[in-house]
Amino acid sequence: MLKNYLKITWRNLRRHKAFSLINISGLAIGMASSALILLWIQNEVSYDQFHAKKDRLYSVYNRSVFDGKLWCWNTTPKVMAKTLKQDYPQIEEVARTSNNNFLFTINDKHLNVPGYFTDPGFLTMFSFPLVSGNKNTALNNIKDIVITQKLAKKLFGNDNAMGKTIKIDSNAYFTVSAVMQDLPNNTQFKFEYLMPWSYLKKIGGDDTGWGNNSIQTWALLKPGVTEAEANKSIVNITRSHSEIKDIDVFVHPSGKWRLYSKFDQKGKISGGRIETIRIFSMIAAFILIIACINFMNLSTARSEKRAREVGIRKVVGALRGSLISQFLGESIFIALIAGLIAIVIVQLSLSGFNRLTDKQLYIPYSSPWFWFTALSFILFTGLISGSYPALYLSSFRPVSVLKGTFKAVNALITPRKLLVVVQFTFAVVLIVCTIIIRQQLQYAQDRETGYKKDNLVYVMMTGNVEKQYALIKNDLLASGAAAAVSKTSAPITQGWSDSWDFIWDGKDMSKKIDFNMFNTDGDLVKTMGLKLIAGRDIDVKTYPTDSVAMILNETAVKTMGFKNPVGQIIKRPNDATHFTNWHVIGVVKDFILQSPYEPVKAMIIQGPKSWFNVIHFKLNGAHTTAENLKLAEKVFKKYNPDYPFEYNFIDQDYAKKFGDEQRIGTLASLFAGLTIIISCLGLFGLAAYMAQNRIKEIGVRKVLGASVAGVTTLLSKDFLKLVMIAFAIAMPIAWWAMYKWLQGYSYRISISIWVFVLAALITIIISLITVSFQAIKAALANPVKSLRSE
Amino acid sequence: MIKITDLEKFYRTEEVETIALNKLSIEVKKGEFVAIMGPSGCGKSTLLNILGMLDDPDSGSYVFNGVEVAHFTERKRADLRKHNIGFVFQSFNLIDELTVFENVELPLIYTGVPSAERVKRVEEVLDKMQIMHRRNHYPQQLSGGQQQRVAISRAVVNKPKLILADEPTGNLDSSNGNEVMELLTDLNEQGTTIIMVTHSEHDARYSHRIIRLLDGQTVVENIMI
Repeated sequence: MLKNYLKITWRNLRRHKAFSLINISGLAIGMASSALILLWIQNEVSYDQFHAKKDRLYSVYNRSVFDGKLWCWNTTPKVMAKTLKQDYPQIEEVARTSNNNFLFTINDKHLNVPGYFTDPGFLTMFSFPLVSGNKNTALNNIKDIVITQKLAKKLFGNDNAMGKTIKIDSNAYFTVSAVMQDLPNNTQFKFEYLMPWSYLKKIGGDDTGWGNNSIQTWALLKPGVTEAEANKSIVNITRSHSEIKDIDVFVHPSGKWRLYSKFDQKGKISGGRIETIRIFSMIAAFILIIACINFMNLSTARSEKRAREVGIRKVVGALRGSLISQFLGESIFIALIAGLIAIVIVQLSLSGFNRLTDKQLYIPYSSPWFWFTALSFILFTGLISGSYPALYLSSFRPVSVLKGTFKAVNALITPRKLLVVVQFTFAVVLIVCTIIIRQQLQYAQDRETGYKKDNLVYVMMTGNVEKQYALIKNDLLASGAAAAVSKTSAPITQGWSDSWDFIWDGKDMSKKIDFNMFNTDGDLVKTMGLKLIAGRDIDVKTYPTDSVAMILNETAVKTMGFKNPVGQIIKRPNDATHFTNWHVIGVVKDFILQSPYEPVKAMIIQGPKSWFNVIHFKLNGAHTTAENLKLAEKVFKKYNPDYPFEYNFIDQDYAKKFGDEQRIGTLASLFAGLTIIISCLGLFGLAAYMAQNRIKEIGVRKVLGASVAGVTTLLSKDFLKLVMIAFAIAMPIAWWAMYKWLQGYSYRISISIWVFVLAALITIIISLITVSFQAIKAALANPVKSLRSE
Repeated sequence: MIKITDLEKFYRTEEVETIALNKLSIEVKKGEFVAIMGPSGCGKSTLLNILGMLDDPDSGSYVFNGVEVAHFTERKRADLRKHNIGFVFQSFNLIDELTVFENVELPLIYTGVPSAERVKRVEEVLDKMQIMHRRNHYPQQLSGGQQQRVAISRAVVNKPKLILADEPTGNLDSSNGNEVMELLTDLNEQGTTIIMVTHSEHDARYSHRIIRLLDGQTVVENIMI
C-alpha cells in the first residue's frame, strides 16, 4: 500500500512539474525561513544554560527610587561579594567581574585584549572548561592569568601556553596558569582572559566603599536555598553595612539573565529580549503557515484532477481513512523533499544570516537532537499542510466524481478563499511593520545629536598617554593633525558614569536625582562642536579656578531649577565629611550621550579635577583624514611607543547605536519579502488553476465578444477582492502591533495613514502582476481550442 | 443473488424534488446477465450505483446474497463491495499515474492480498485479457479498447461474484465494443453475474434478460432466447 502511495505521489510530482515546483519551493522557502529564525531563537534561549550549576547561579542587583521612579541595576559595590560570602550562610560562593583592556606583549607582538578581573570562585561557579590547569587554583596567585585557546593561539601559535610569561602593559609579567576552551557563542560573558582580583587590588583598583557601583557580582546559592529566601536575607545588606539607607539588594537567576532584564515599577521582571523572541517566533510561525496554506490551496485547487482517483479508489474498496492517510503521506513526502531543500538553503544562507544577526549560528549535523527536531518539524509541516486537503479530497463521493458531474464548490466563502485572505493578512501586517520599523530607525538616525560627529576621533588613554597628555595635546595641535583636543572620562557616544550625590542651592533633599556624568580637561565645546547657550567653555590656562568648573546641559539647568545657572555653586562629597565646591561656568544645548531613542538626561560636565580615560580630537580640516591620522600616529608613537595607535571615529561609533533596530529592520524586511514571495507563488499557482477551470467560460465570453482586457479583469477581480479583504483585516492588527512596539521608545514617530496606503499599493501591485500574468495568458488563448475540448 | 423491493431514491435541490427510482422491485439470480435499458434520466445509473453500494436508497429493501444491505454503514458497504463487486465504466476510469499492472493490482491492495499473490493474479488476468504486453504502459498510451480491457481486468481480478457495467462500450468503436461484450459474455459463462446498463440494443442482445426502465419504474422485462 505504502509503495503504491509513494509511487503515485512521485509520479504526480513529476507529471505536474509546475505545480510541484511552486509547492516544493514555497514550502522549502517557508521552512528554511522558519528554521533560520528557530536557530536564532534556540541560540537566544540557550544563553548561559550550559553551566552545570545554573539553577543556583545568580547575578546581584540593586534597586532604588530616583526622582520618583524605581530603577534596578546590576553593577554593585566591590565590597558586596566579600560581605555576601562572609555574613550570609545562604551563599556558597561569590565572584566579581570587572572589565579591562590591557596591552599584551610577547616578544614584538602587541595585542589589545578584552578580559576580566575576577575572583578564584569564577572558575568553579561557571562551567567554562579548562583545557589545561586546575580550576581550583588557577587564579590563586597575584600574577596568574587564565587565557582562552583563541588567545593562546594568537600569542603563542601552536606552542603549549601553560607556564609561559606574558607582559601586561609595560610593567607587569603574568604566568599562564590555565588555558580555557573558547567561550561558546551563547554566553553573555565576553573575555579572552581572566586575571586575579588580587592584582586589581595591588594596582589600586579595589575599594571597600558602598557608594561606588561599578562591577558585577555573581553569587552561587547553597543547594536547597530558594531565590525568595536569598532575597529575604540580603535585601538590607547595603543598609546594614553603610550609611546608604535607600538601596535594596536582590538576586536575578541565570535563567533570566539574557531574556528578562527589564523590571517594572514594582521591581518585578517585566520583559527584555524575550519581546523580540516572541515577535520572531510569531514571524516564524506566520511564514510556515503561509507556506502550508499555499500547499493547501494548490492541492485543493487541483481537486478536480484528483477527484477521479479518489472515486476509483473508493469503488475498488478504499475507505476514507486510508485515503486520508494517503494524502497525508503525500504531503509529508513533499514536506520531506522541501525540508531537505530547506536544510541546503539554511546552510547556504547561514553566513549571511549570521552577519545580519551578529551571531555564529550553525547547523548541528552531528547532534541526534537536530535530526529529531528536523524530522518532527517536517512531519509537523506535512501534517499541517496536508490536513485540509486530505479531509477535503477524501470526502468526494465516487458517484458524482466518476460520472463527471463533480464540480468544486464556488461559494461566497470557501476555505480556499479564506486561506488566501489569511495568507495576505500576514503579508500585509509584515509589510506595514517593516515600513514603520524603517521609518522609526530613520527618524532616530536623523535626530540632531547636539555635536559634530564628522572628523571627530577618540583614542583610549593607555600606557604613558595620561602622563604625557600635555605634550601629546600640544604636538597634536602643533603638527596640524588636530584642530582641537579634549581629554574626557568616556567617548562622547557612551556615558560611563552617573551620580546622584550633588547638592545645590534649593535642592529638595528628600529626592534622589540622578545625573549623567562627563569629565573634560577643557576645550570640550570646541572639540565636540557643542552649542554653548550661556557662559563659556572650560579653560584652565586662562582661568586657573576652572579646575573645579562645571558645565551643565539644558536639562540639568531645568532639573536644578536655576534661573541664572552661571555662577552657581554645586557641592559634591569627597567622603563623609569633605565636599568640593564646583562652580558652573557654562550651559550647553542638550546633546545625545546615550540612547538616541530616549530624551536627553540631565548632565553635569566636570572640569579638570576629575578622572579621564579618553582623548578626543577634531581632525584638521585643512588636511585629508589619512594625513591627519598619520601625523597623529607619529605623536602617539613618540610618547607611547610600546602601544599600537588605535583610534575610533565618533560617527562610526554613533552608527552602532542603531545596530539592534537596524538588525530588526533588515530581518523584518527580509521576512516580509519572503512572505510576499511565498504568498505570490501560491497566488500564481492558484490563478493558473482558476484560469484553467474557467477556460470554457472564457472561450464562450470571447466568442460573444469579450475583450482581452475584459477577461483579464474578470479573472483578476476575484483575487484582488480577497487581497483587499486581507488588507482590511491586517490594518488594525499591524497598527496595534506597531503602536505597542513604538511605546518602547520615548523618541518615536507617530504612525501615518500613508504607511497603510503604501502597503496597500505594494500588495495590490504585486498580487495584480502575479494574477494578471495567468489571466492574460488565459484571455489570449484561442477560444476555438478551449471550446473544442467540450 | 440480488433482490430489491420498493426501492426509492429522490434527488432534492432547494426547489425541486426529482424521483430517480420509484418503488422499484427487481430480482437478479446468480449467474444471470441482465441488461438495463431506458432513456436518459430514467434511473438506470442510480439503480446501478445503489446495486454497487456506491449510493444508498431513501427507502425500500436491498438484499444482497441474502443480507439486507440498504442501510449498511459506509465501512460495511465498502467491505462488501471490495470482496464481491467489480465495476466497469463507460469512461474506463483508470488512474493516469499508475501503469496497467498497477491499476489492475489496486483492488487486491485494498483487500490485503500479499504482494507475491498479487503479481500472480494480475498477470493471470492480464494474460487472459490479452493485454499482458502492455503491463508497464500508462493508460494514456493505450487505445480505448485496450483501456476498457484493463478496466475489465481490474473489475475481475478480485474474482467478484457480480460485475456492474455502466455503458461499457459507450466510448468504443464497434469492433472494440464487440470485443468487450465477448469478454463480458465469457465472464458470465464462467459464473459471474453481470448487470449492465446500456443504450445499445446490440449490446443488450448479449444478455439473458433486458429490464426497461422509465421514470424510475420497470416498464417491461424481455427474456432473451
